[in-house]
Amino acid sequence: MNAILKNPLALAGLIIIGIISIMAIFAPIIAPFDPDAINVKNILLSPSAAHWMGTDGLGRDVYSRMLYGARISLLVGIVAVGIATIIGIVLGAIAGFYRGWVDTVIMRLVDVMLSIPTFFLILAVIAFLTPSIWNIMIVIGLTSWMGVTRLVRAEFLSLRNREFVLASQTLGAKDSRLIFKQLLPNSLTPIIVSSVLGIASAVLVESGLSFLGLGVQAPQASWGNILTDGKEYIEFAWWLSMFPGLAILITVMGYNLLGEGLRDALDPRTSNNK
Amino acid sequence: MLKYLLNRLFWMAPLLVGISLISFLIMHLAPGDITSTEASFNPKTSEESRQKLRELYNLDKPVIVQYGLWLKRMSTLDFGHSFASHQSPVFWQETDKDGNVTKGMIQEALPITLLINVLSLILIIGIALPLGVISALTQNQLPDRSITIFVFIGFAIPSFWLALMLMYWTGVSHNWLPISGLHSLGADKFSAFAQLLDTLKHLTLPILISGLTGLAGISLFVRNGMLDVLHQDYITTARAKGLPENTVVYKHALRNALLPLITIFGLSIPGLIGGSVIAESIFAIPGMGKLFYDAVLMRDFPVIMGILTIGSALTLMGNLLADLAYAWADPRVRKGVAQ
Repeated sequence: MNAILKNPLALAGLIIIGIISIMAIFAPIIAPFDPDAINVKNILLSPSAAHWMGTDGLGRDVYSRMLYGARISLLVGIVAVGIATIIGIVLGAIAGFYRGWVDTVIMRLVDVMLSIPTFFLILAVIAFLTPSIWNIMIVIGLTSWMGVTRLVRAEFLSLRNREFVLASQTLGAKDSRLIFKQLLPNSLTPIIVSSVLGIASAVLVESGLSFLGLGVQAPQASWGNILTDGKEYIEFAWWLSMFPGLAILITVMGYNLLGEGLRDALDPRTSNNK
Repeated sequence: MLKYLLNRLFWMAPLLVGISLISFLIMHLAPGDITSTEASFNPKTSEESRQKLRELYNLDKPVIVQYGLWLKRMSTLDFGHSFASHQSPVFWQETDKDGNVTKGMIQEALPITLLINVLSLILIIGIALPLGVISALTQNQLPDRSITIFVFIGFAIPSFWLALMLMYWTGVSHNWLPISGLHSLGADKFSAFAQLLDTLKHLTLPILISGLTGLAGISLFVRNGMLDVLHQDYITTARAKGLPENTVVYKHALRNALLPLITIFGLSIPGLIGGSVIAESIFAIPGMGKLFYDAVLMRDFPVIMGILTIGSALTLMGNLLADLAYAWADPRVRKGVAQ
């Protein structure tokens, strides 16, 4: 923990993510207006003391919608990556521990998944489902586990024949004990780093899908679908596209900084050079 | 080299089967059979066309037989006809009995997307290479620090937001560049050169968007590659024997640092093809991405399946080309010494 706090990248990322998370969690308290309250008298007001980020085409307060949108972005990112990480750990552990034909089958599956353009795959699946926040999480999770799988497998392969593992195997430890008590704990650092970086790309994918109208559906606010409105009114209302874009940029940057910082802080191999 | 090529081709077969299996499974994800899904999203679908569909996909037969038959059609590159746009052939042109040629949808869209991607790759190389080299040579100094900040922003910036901002800035407030479509109104009356110029103007923003979003990763990659190479023994040797610094950096170091870049370009193909959805739908460019997006909105199954399969096949081909280029560029692989 000390190493993380001493690393400027990790600290900056942690602060950014911390602030955004607090704003998302306490959105109902912080938000000055009901995010879904339509007010035809206040259509497309520019930012002011009352409406910090202006209002949208239906007179809704953009700042309040941004706060609720933060909930969506963070939730989708974390749940999607959670799904991907669990799948990746299970498949990677099986492939790296048992090797042989199981390994070959799993790694070929990874190759297949990697050769289908990801965004096409996600859109194709979504075409057959009703777009909802839960479906989005599941789809992003199911299409982004390949990196973790490769990572866990590589860690397991390199740890599998290390002396401490062989020693406990000789002492009669069961496979499950080897996997959960020795191999997995020793592979945690790269898994955590790749998950944090994965959240960043999941946030980007979710906002992209919502922007295209295939993600979180109106009236539920998400940064992506506020931007869709922004595109509609780009000639008269710059604030509608400026703020959600900046929010996505800052959030994604926060996760990337945290991920890279963690890598530097936790991995002794990279902390000296580069 | 030949053995290497054959080995690579051999491994492509199971991948192709896997891709077709996944595409097929996605099609069966829809609740009910696809004819009912299609009908529920497109009320104009007649009973006749639904019947046609059932026959086309052999929906009355067991799933495994359906897959086999579908695979058989795929292997002859028969992707069927679009539901949504006047029964156009999905993949390649067809000639009817009167001799009229109907162009295939992918046939028309693919060259546009390929052109955008090739041009944006050139843009990426042109900018990312010098950035990465400068960054590596000034490690932890001001230029490196500023380029690193740029890289972090580049990684985080949503491409569609960047597209909107550029569109607003160059198209709406300055009116420098066209922001939609591939040709200006009445462009068919222009001279050939003016037409070309017109198309290039229309492509500028989409190319900038897909180039700028790929820039960060590549320049970081060049930087780290250069740093790795610069710490190698043979660089120290080259310096020790008194070679000029420029020769060391550009001849000995850069060439070796660039080698893995070939693989990275191969690996970035699916991202580029997938990313075309956003840029093309924002700027209304009639390429693969826009075609796919429209097909998804209209649940146009044959087009979705066709693009998914063709897109994946292209990715495989791109990876193969990258591997071959790598083998050709690296004498260790070419002569079968290492690995």
